[in-house]
Amino acid sequence: MSAPSLTNFIVKRPWLKRWMTPIANWYTDAAGYRKLGLRADDLIPEENDTVQTALKRLPPKEAYDRIFRIRRAFQCSISHTLLPPEEHTKPSEDVEYLSPIIREIEKEKAERADLDNLVVNRKR
Amino acid sequence: MLSRSPISRNAFCALQNATSRRGMASATTAGLQYDVSESAGVKIANREPAGATGTLALVAKAGSRYEPFPGFSDALEFFAFQSTLKRSALRITREVELLGGEFSARHSRENVVLKTKFLANDLPYFVELLAEVASQTKFPGYELNEIVAKLLKLRQVALANNPEAIAVDAAHSLAFHQGLGESISPSAHVPYEKNLSAEAVAEFAKNAYAKSNIALVGSGVSSSELSKWVGDFFKALPSSGSNHYQLKSPVTSKYYGGEHRLSTKAGNAVVIAFPGTGVFGTAAYKPAASVLAALLGGESTIKWTPGFSLLSQATQGFSQVRVSTKNLAYSDAGILAISLSGKADQVAVAGKTAVDVIKKAAAGEVSVEDIKKATALAKFRALESAQTLETGLEATGSALISGSKPYQIDEIAKSIDNVTEAQVKNFAKSALTSRPSVASVGDLSELPYASDLGLTV
Repeated sequence: MSAPSLTNFIVKRPWLKRWMTPIANWYTDAAGYRKLGLRADDLIPEENDTVQTALKRLPPKEAYDRIFRIRRAFQCSISHTLLPPEEHTKPSEDVEYLSPIIREIEKEKAERADLDNLVVNRKR
Repeated sequence: MLSRSPISRNAFCALQNATSRRGMASATTAGLQYDVSESAGVKIANREPAGATGTLALVAKAGSRYEPFPGFSDALEFFAFQSTLKRSALRITREVELLGGEFSARHSRENVVLKTKFLANDLPYFVELLAEVASQTKFPGYELNEIVAKLLKLRQVALANNPEAIAVDAAHSLAFHQGLGESISPSAHVPYEKNLSAEAVAEFAKNAYAKSNIALVGSGVSSSELSKWVGDFFKALPSSGSNHYQLKSPVTSKYYGGEHRLSTKAGNAVVIAFPGTGVFGTAAYKPAASVLAALLGGESTIKWTPGFSLLSQATQGFSQVRVSTKNLAYSDAGILAISLSGKADQVAVAGKTAVDVIKKAAAGEVSVEDIKKATALAKFRALESAQTLETGLEATGSALISGSKPYQIDEIAKSIDNVTEAQVKNFAKSALTSRPSVASVGDLSELPYASDLGLTV
């Protein structure tokens, strides 16, 4: 599920964004998941209904690639190795592929909750 | 205690009045005529007077006869009232609930019908809703997987457990091969998934809901209001569809006939079909067929009596068989289908009896009285189906799209009244000389072959 973040706050202020981008890039790289060939969206905890539904909605090719990346990373983790540098995830490849679907499902759920708690004011 | 005389006197009066009442038919049917108009390029038929509630249906010529691949009409039906570009399916449902309205979608061999019912004040909302469904449905892939495919599976299960539906479907494919012969919903053995994708259905929907391919049929709403709102909301609907997944070009229906046997554990059904009549207003319309269907009958219209019809009289001894004769009419052809369902051994014997009864009808061994009753029943059925919304809306919409005249109540009544005994007899004769379509579904070890029934296929 999408975690709370300051992204919107920062992106809205160009000067702050200019400051933060290098720091963010350094941080993401230091997190180390790219060295295991993963993408940021692979790290989203999947043990809940929303993400499970989102995973079902992935196109078949993306779902296959995701499992491949996770298994490869798992193997690396077991053998205490990192992937050779040419197989690391490039920053350009580290794109959101699951989050948009999750956001859509969250919107659907929010809509349902809103409609369930709707108060109708009829015009007289 | 009732004395007998008042009752019998009333009955006598009713008989005497019968002739004069017939003369009044045109006066009472005034409210049944549809006002036909066109707004924003969409054909509209509406039946006034405007009342407290209204019904509006969108009829699209996209039934199983016109689908490019199996399952497309079903998918289009299930995708109706799902998420659109403007709002989600949930919101549509909740909004309609708040307005106290109803919506439903179904499809037949020729049409997909989206029907809404509502309080008269809400007309603009529902016109907008239908326009939105027709032009802005989203068709996301996940809705196909999560909703539509599941509903289609359930429908297949329901179909597989209904031997009579299977037999009627088989009779259609025997009778017409292509076009009308396509099965109305893909059975569980059809590899429909091969071609069915959300993108494909979206393309098909563009063709199905193109302006030239739809008609709006209203009832109980004001015609001027309706055409005004249709002009507003249906403006954006494209007048022609896309080049992919086009509607199958209609094959002129030709009758073939034959025999088909299919084993299933679900039950037993035999359908014996002969070439019948098309819908009223088309070249294939033969009123004698509808009289013959009423004459053969099988199901009583009145409680606690077997009824006058020849088949119900003949099959009175069989307690575990259901017999019914229907005239399944389409825009350019039709079949007269006798369906028997129930216990296998009794179906076999009753089937033989049914064929004997038709032979009797063809030989003219039917009392004048019975033909009179059958004519009255056929007339009632034709007029009732025009009057009740369930069937009348689709028939009217279908007639509008194909350009033939919509139901003219008086003419139907007249054409059925004019059917003579000889015409019925001749129709039965010609039916017997043509090659019948016999579909047997169920326990084949007991169900008869067409030749056992006394038919030559």
